[in-house]
Amino acid sequence: MSQLALWRRPLGAVRAVAVVALALTALSTPGFLSEPSALSLITTVSFIGCVAIGMTLITISGNIISFSLGALVGATAMVFVLAVNFGGVVFAFAAALTFAALTNALQGLVIGAMRANPIIVSIAATAIIYGVAEAFAEQGTIYAAAGTNYGIFRGKMLGLPIEFVVLLGATALAQFLLICTIFGRNLFMTGSSFAAAEIVGIRTWRTVTGAYLWAGLFAGLAGVMLAMRYDSASMSYGMGYEYDAVAAVLVGGTAIKGGEGSALRTLIGALVIAIIEAVLLLWGFRQEWQFLIAGVLVLAVVALQTRGRWD
Amino acid sequence: MAGAVHLLTTAGLCKSFGGVRVLSDVSLSLAAGEILAICGENGAGKSTLVKLLMGILHPDNGAIAIDGERVVVRGPQHAQALGLGFVAQELSLAPRLSIFDNIWLGGADVPLLHRTAQLRRRAQVALDALNAGDWNLDQPVGELSIGQRQIVEIARLFARNARLLILDEPTATLTDAEIERILGVLKSLRSQGRSVIYVTHRLGEVFALCDRVTVLRNGEHISTDPVAAITRTELIERMLGRSVGEMYPRASARAASGEAVTVERLNVPRQVRDFSFVAPCGKILCIAGQIGSGANIVTRALAGLVQNATGEVRLNGRLLPLGSVADCVARNVIFLSEDRAAEGLFHQMRVVDNLVASSLPRHARLGLLAWPALRRLAGRLAERLGIDKRRLRESATHLSGGNQQKVLFGRALRESGSCVLLMNEPTRGVDVGARADIYRLMRELCDQGFALIIASSDLEEVEGVADIVVTMYRGRAVARYERGEIDIGRILADITHPTELAQAS
Repeated sequence: MSQLALWRRPLGAVRAVAVVALALTALSTPGFLSEPSALSLITTVSFIGCVAIGMTLITISGNIISFSLGALVGATAMVFVLAVNFGGVVFAFAAALTFAALTNALQGLVIGAMRANPIIVSIAATAIIYGVAEAFAEQGTIYAAAGTNYGIFRGKMLGLPIEFVVLLGATALAQFLLICTIFGRNLFMTGSSFAAAEIVGIRTWRTVTGAYLWAGLFAGLAGVMLAMRYDSASMSYGMGYEYDAVAAVLVGGTAIKGGEGSALRTLIGALVIAIIEAVLLLWGFRQEWQFLIAGVLVLAVVALQTRGRWD
Repeated sequence: MAGAVHLLTTAGLCKSFGGVRVLSDVSLSLAAGEILAICGENGAGKSTLVKLLMGILHPDNGAIAIDGERVVVRGPQHAQALGLGFVAQELSLAPRLSIFDNIWLGGADVPLLHRTAQLRRRAQVALDALNAGDWNLDQPVGELSIGQRQIVEIARLFARNARLLILDEPTATLTDAEIERILGVLKSLRSQGRSVIYVTHRLGEVFALCDRVTVLRNGEHISTDPVAAITRTELIERMLGRSVGEMYPRASARAASGEAVTVERLNVPRQVRDFSFVAPCGKILCIAGQIGSGANIVTRALAGLVQNATGEVRLNGRLLPLGSVADCVARNVIFLSEDRAAEGLFHQMRVVDNLVASSLPRHARLGLLAWPALRRLAGRLAERLGIDKRRLRESATHLSGGNQQKVLFGRALRESGSCVLLMNEPTRGVDVGARADIYRLMRELCDQGFALIIASSDLEEVEGVADIVVTMYRGRAVARYERGEIDIGRILADITHPTELAQAS
């Protein structure tokens, strides 16, 4: 027991120091608090954040990560635009989110019921999604027809961009699911020990499928929001989001091996990464450096997480 | 050994974690060619002591001396250089590699290319010394039985010239025949002048093997005596710090109320053949069999965990479908695995989460959990189980083996109504104190009308706890004994070489 306590404490200290240092650096960086800079920061974080919230559920369920969530974001955006042109905004919402949830739940079913390797399934799914999208949009980008009106979704709420409010809502919903529902507790148990969860009587395939379904829904939100913001959709919209989402999940402190974690932590992780990237940008670093720093950050967190688990 | 310099001496070893004393003032000495048993309940400090000797932890106070010379053990590699070797409870062999490779794996002085004739010879010498000279050095370790692997572990230490072997519960997962073999090996090591520290729960082995026995309790060094000068009961009382009374509570007079489970012609391909029995309410039925007899498969099949099981199982007269755990749990058929680490506990989760794991649907509405009710339930369960309520919010990993088993037990407890509890090896790796608690709980459940079906290879436990014993040999039932007819000799004969079956085949 004491071994665990011993490694947790330094980790907690590292976290606290890092957050304080980051806050001080950010606040003392000229331009960080300017409105355009802050607005762009929290808008960007909203898209990746929604994907990361979905990713959190998959990680907690013991299935590590899904590579296909980025592709799903782009595909959902395209479904949304096609559906808007076909049947209006409300229909488009329903169609896009249903598409996202079901596409991902299908992967969950394959993983949960057949116990297929989650990484492989998600790589295969990525390829399939890109392939199908190719057939629908040969020229790459599709545009919403002129005159489509969803201006209310572009405004602000309580002074915050609506995308960020959606992210906060998604975080709250995911946190509620995790803590207050049978599904959430089953998710933790399945991720903590698959065999023990089966013995307790949990139908693990349902739980895993459920995790992927919700993950698809949260990632789908990002796709819908991107489509509305740009009045268009292309598969490039979600590209690379899965990596940023994994970084947010890990930096937030959700355990990569499953069974513990929280949506709130992921939100913090996403914010931390976004702030670091914004600060680097303001300091004049090129974008390649941002990738480098994000990579090093993830490695550091994984190394810290793994250390305490050796014995 | 008077006057001789001791191989190992410890003086006043102390260790604390975050202000909690886990070991205080342990002074031991061990002569060459001596086997010292270390006994104590879980949490008594046995593992901490071993870790201090191996340099995995460092003492806050006190000293370790080897051959009378004070040393600071810097780490496991250093301990190896000093002549100390350790076999952990979980074996650390690479199954795909050969016996030869495993013997030299991780050795401090092994050259980069280890497949030399000289190292091969030394590995062979090690096997010879352990009466295993006829084994093929190139056989993959994965093909060996658990008992044979244990011997490879010992050979590994032997080949590296360990003069002091430290074994932590080496026999926990072995069959009786394998245990005999390990004990034989250790005795021959002793006659060659090597020393052994033998950490165990099994008192039988202390008396069969060891020269002296040290008792630890709550980190304190209680006593060290020659085994000839101490009785079994005294030893248990020292470990517990109180008198044992009756380890196995008697069945109460309450008559059993009918048949709970009837099993007809249960079959699992290659493991169980035409196994039939009736388990009444309010009684403990033990399926006694050696490892590999299929006894533990019967309970798993009844729990819905064996997909290809066939047969007719009825619970209170109604058919129970095989192959679905969720259906079984819904009808209050609860299974506790012998492998708590892999199939029981949710390690990262809190004790309270673990306790209520199978009660969630009963305390939820439309999928929403009623946490206040669940927390109250967990509190009451903890009280019944004898678990400190303040530990409910702790992570389950922090609990001792005995407390972990109690938590799993708690999942089966019901405030009203009864169910069927299936258990494999209910007290494996559980210390004496918690063991008595678990037997008491089992009786409580009987009084509540539960039917308990237990698969066990621990015959002392079978004799002590069972109301009915069904013996099992190679997947078949041999005989059934009611209380009064239960005799350890007959059970042993049944499960090792039943005469009827020998004639039949």
